[in-house]
Amino acid sequence: MLLLAGTIPDKNMPLTFGEVSLQNGSLVADGQQFNRFQGTGAMISAALATIKYLQLEPAKVLVVGDIGDGQGSRELYRYLIDNIAELSPEVFVMHYCLPIMTLMRQLCQAVRESDKKPIMVADAGAMYAAKGANLSSEFDIMTPDPSEIAFLADPKATHPAYIAEHLFECDASKIPEQIDAAFRNGSAAKLLLVKGKTDYIASGGNILATVNEPDVPMIEAIGGTGDTITGLVSGLVYSGMEPKEAAVVAAKTNRVAGELAKVTPATKVAELVDKFQSVFEKHLCQWSEVCCR
Amino acid sequence: MGKGKVAFKGDGIIIFQEVSHAIQAEKLIRKHGYEVKLISPPPELRMGCDLALEINLVESHGIERILKEDNTAFVSLNPLMKGTADLCEIVKTTDYGQWVMVKAGNMKITFDKNSGLVVNVSGGGCPDIPYLHAEMVDKRLDEAPKPKELGYTLCAVMLDLAFQESLRLWNGGNN
Repeated sequence: MLLLAGTIPDKNMPLTFGEVSLQNGSLVADGQQFNRFQGTGAMISAALATIKYLQLEPAKVLVVGDIGDGQGSRELYRYLIDNIAELSPEVFVMHYCLPIMTLMRQLCQAVRESDKKPIMVADAGAMYAAKGANLSSEFDIMTPDPSEIAFLADPKATHPAYIAEHLFECDASKIPEQIDAAFRNGSAAKLLLVKGKTDYIASGGNILATVNEPDVPMIEAIGGTGDTITGLVSGLVYSGMEPKEAAVVAAKTNRVAGELAKVTPATKVAELVDKFQSVFEKHLCQWSEVCCR
Repeated sequence: MGKGKVAFKGDGIIIFQEVSHAIQAEKLIRKHGYEVKLISPPPELRMGCDLALEINLVESHGIERILKEDNTAFVSLNPLMKGTADLCEIVKTTDYGQWVMVKAGNMKITFDKNSGLVVNVSGGGCPDIPYLHAEMVDKRLDEAPKPKELGYTLCAVMLDLAFQESLRLWNGGNN
């Protein structure tokens, strides 16, 4: 099972678990409809496009409404703490949620006590919680953007709002140093995919690959385009692709989709996701052996 | 080993002048569903009282709002770890021709230079950011809700910094 977990910006949405599908432009799980805009919805829609193209077993989602007060996030953590062992996903993705370090510690403890450890992917609030709780290394993949790699590089910060200004002021050329620092201080997952003007794929402090073509700078302004990378890499890993290769393919797919969609800063992320099928059809077999359809 | 409950450990601290204020605030914050713990403040943060509250720093904005609405006085709200940097208040802008992207910390807001319409909100990882995205996009800067008023988390605080700078730029660079 590919399990995608996160919060949805609708305070009335109950905790919902089930197979997810795209219906008339909205995501639907267990009869609950939610949007695929920025955040968990964008991540899920990108993962969905990937597993649909590769004809994999449908993904399951665990989503709950939360508009920032953390009530839904707490429900999400507690459900996972109580059920992750029984759910036993092969790939487990934790995304938007309030970064609550105490609950992340309990969740990681529950995962450690499970019979089978899933491939664990974290981005957004889940990545903040893992880093703040000194548990990043229990995750297999994290997908920070440039401000978030500065956060991972700062050993004292427990949220990107409190990164040291000298790290935030760094230009893009310093990102390799920040990646190195994140691994040295134990704040990195086993593999990092750093999203930016150049995408860096790194493990153990070493840069394994970079992706910078095509250059579509306006992608940065579009809310949800980092979330789509997380969804892509998760779906690709679920297909059996090695994390490094999945990260490279995810980074390329997002860029080529942006180029195909002729994005501007006013583009909505769904327009990018709608191009993923075309990108896979045209490029996936050149980029990877995992491309059957 | 069973699923033992892990004791709450926060990364933010609220300092009070009076012990009674700390006790009252603890009850109030807990009533609103936040995790909180009464602690003795570290020596460098002691203000003459002996009680402080440990909280999740990311929730500081929502908690601060509750305390202010209740008129519960507090002295300061800070990161707990000694040596933590101050809130990063550097704002950067990227000019895309018709649009400008303003970035504060991990948050970005992009608006149309002519119409002032917010066209995108990106970055962040807290649950109020997708909510703010939905509430702000396609609204003019002077009509959009203020992130600090609608949001709860540090991500919303950073988005508010970017929002205030966007408003300033759209008004011709004047406050």
